[in-house]
Amino acid sequence: MTDLPVQLENVTKRYGAFTAVDDLSFAVGQGEIYGFLGPNGAGKTTTLRMLLDIVQPTEGRISVLGSNSAISVRRRIGYLPEERGLYRKMKAADSIAYFARLRGLSGATAKKRAYALLEQFGLGDFARSKCEALSKGMAQKVQLLATIAHEPELLILDEPFSGLDPINQQTLEELIAEQRAGGRTIIFSTHVMQHAERLCDRFLIIAKGQKRFEGTLSEARAGFGRHIHVRSPAPAAAFEAFSGVLSVRLERSGGEENDYDIELAENADPQGFLHQAVAAGIVLTRFEQAGATLHDIFVALAGDEALAPLSGVRAEAAE
Amino acid sequence: MKQVLLIAWREYKQYVLSRGFLIFLVMFPLGLAGLTAAMGFAERSKPSRVFVVYDETGQYADEIDREITRRHALATLNAWNVYLAAYAPAAAVEALPAPFAPDGVSDARVKEIEEAGGYAAAEAAVADILRAGAPAFTAPREQFERVAGPVALAVATSVEEAETILRPYLLDERNIIRADGEPAPLFAAVLIPEGFGAPALNGGEAPPSAQYWSRNLTDTALEDLVGNALDAALKREAAEALGLPRAALDDVAAIAAPFEAYRPDREAEEAQLDMQDRIETLMPAALTYMLLVIIFGVGNLLLTNTIEERSNKIVEILLSSVTADQLMMGKLIGIAAVGLTMPAIFLFGGLAGSAALGVGGANVMGSVFASLFTSPLLLIYLFYFFCAYAIFAMIFLAIGAVSNSLQDAQSYMGPVMLLVFAPLPFMIMVFENPNGFIASLLTWIPIYTPYAVMMRAAADPPLWEIVGATAFMLAFAIVLVRFLGRIFRNAILQSSPPKAREVWRLARQDAA
Repeated sequence: MTDLPVQLENVTKRYGAFTAVDDLSFAVGQGEIYGFLGPNGAGKTTTLRMLLDIVQPTEGRISVLGSNSAISVRRRIGYLPEERGLYRKMKAADSIAYFARLRGLSGATAKKRAYALLEQFGLGDFARSKCEALSKGMAQKVQLLATIAHEPELLILDEPFSGLDPINQQTLEELIAEQRAGGRTIIFSTHVMQHAERLCDRFLIIAKGQKRFEGTLSEARAGFGRHIHVRSPAPAAAFEAFSGVLSVRLERSGGEENDYDIELAENADPQGFLHQAVAAGIVLTRFEQAGATLHDIFVALAGDEALAPLSGVRAEAAE
Repeated sequence: MKQVLLIAWREYKQYVLSRGFLIFLVMFPLGLAGLTAAMGFAERSKPSRVFVVYDETGQYADEIDREITRRHALATLNAWNVYLAAYAPAAAVEALPAPFAPDGVSDARVKEIEEAGGYAAAEAAVADILRAGAPAFTAPREQFERVAGPVALAVATSVEEAETILRPYLLDERNIIRADGEPAPLFAAVLIPEGFGAPALNGGEAPPSAQYWSRNLTDTALEDLVGNALDAALKREAAEALGLPRAALDDVAAIAAPFEAYRPDREAEEAQLDMQDRIETLMPAALTYMLLVIIFGVGNLLLTNTIEERSNKIVEILLSSVTADQLMMGKLIGIAAVGLTMPAIFLFGGLAGSAALGVGGANVMGSVFASLFTSPLLLIYLFYFFCAYAIFAMIFLAIGAVSNSLQDAQSYMGPVMLLVFAPLPFMIMVFENPNGFIASLLTWIPIYTPYAVMMRAAADPPLWEIVGATAFMLAFAIVLVRFLGRIFRNAILQSSPPKAREVWRLARQDAA
């Protein structure tokens, strides 16, 4: 294995007859923000737990920070699980310090850092409050601070945005960006595509335990046809006859004019479409070019569970 | 190991430094002191029971008075013993001359104190050794006061008439007048009919019964006193009829056979049983019950805090920092320390208290400490405490790991509680017959080996049996810890608690 911070090779996890993760391989580069996307039950949490050696894979190899087991390098890792909590009777600063100490900091340093972080994130006044007295948003901040207090090299955040209000989501985005600026490698799983679009250098889409896509957003878009949106009094059949058009979908029927979403073949030129329309005497009152959004890509790749796993072409093309 | 100790310390601190535990620690001795004071106060403030005696024979009222005086003298002597223990150093007290030094409470000693000048002389004898600020000795109040009763009673001609006269007083409709002229409720009336006496003196015919009348059916002290007084009077009469002087019977009744118990496993000069031997025999039983209570108490702590970590989703964060085995070990060590803290505090608190009060080896506390610290009992206790703890704590941990709430845990707790407390009824049998069949049987059942061996510790059970059963228990504990450890590791991260039938599968999986 290379010295990439995280590398999985053909990892499979089975629980009895159920395969939670199926032959999954991916690698995360140093200093990358790596999005881990997938619907509920896709195998994201199981994969992250295997990365952390909380559960062991049935097959395959995992390397984290150069080690075969995250246990031996756990002090260099920060983990925020999807389902997280705090000891209700413990004070906020003590909670952060306790988890930091478990990850190798000395008592005095852990305490000092806990107070500094709480101050930095606007919770200085609540440092001595018991966790049961904190609001949900505050408790989530404390959990996050407990994850980064020992200044890990690798941050693994499982659904970090879930349950956060928009302001705290913004704070978390800033924190993730700040951590990356500090040279840390970050893996986070999410359902919220906007966060992934804004933050991730690369991402992986997983469904039913299998990889559906791995790469950058532009690579994902390249794998999907171009779309154009047009408004015209012409019927859909008029556009279907154009060369380079894969499909025409009626978006809105407006009496005299209709809105269409037209998918073009990968090598088709939108200008060519425009020329064909002029040549055919079709009036266009609106013409917009659009790339596929991550949401579109996610829904296409993972949203339809009935969809067969992409065999080779798309996934491999993107790698 | 550092992580294990960190987890253990957090668990320990969570309970031992909790407000509840500290309050209990302060409240327990205060409560004991308060209870003692309250009992003393209740005793002192107990109203003097006023009663009348209607005695057609004219012989027995004085006998009852005599018994009241005797009991009061014994109570006063007991109070003197307590007074010395509380206000004078043990060593100085033991050096006091015979009747004044603490000793048994007996009629003979009452007589000796009277002959030596009474309590005035006793107080003078201890004046120099009393601690500074010690109050003067006060004898307890008289518990009973016999009064003459209403004037009409003096001229009553039958028990029935006396009863009619006294009934309104006994029903608290009227008050009786005490010797000092103050009115008081009549507590009881004793009616002694003509012809009352010992059967043998009555030509074989059954004599009429003396009657005790009272509305208070719960406080039987006066009833017992009157019964004893009349018994003694009739016995004295019988003795007199047989040609013995009345007083001789008191001397006869006071005879106590010199009787000593010995144990054959000691040399002759050390064979006689003393208080420490008795306490050494009782200590294992006391420690066994303490073991049961502690195991149950700390087991519950483990259960609730594992459920908290599981349901609060803290466990996954913990498991990203430590292994499941380290987490389990940290919790076991921390909670074991909690379990030992309470008895240790009371033990050393008791030791310090005894040292401060100058309590010597001749009293109960001294014997308790001597039996704990001069015999291997404490070491045996600690060894079996950890064995029993490992077995039962793992059961509680595993239940906590498969439960999201106490309600989930209830379905498993029923059978476990049955297991924990099942040996309780048999422990008496083991105590009475420490080398009998039940004792041997329980010794060989691994989950009860610690209890049974503790109970038998002072009875020299066969060594092969103890070693064999202990080895078997250790092997069982190792298998159980591995088995339940797997359940803990595999179930602790499951978001929904496994069904009972899945638990077996979890125990067989090597890893999650």
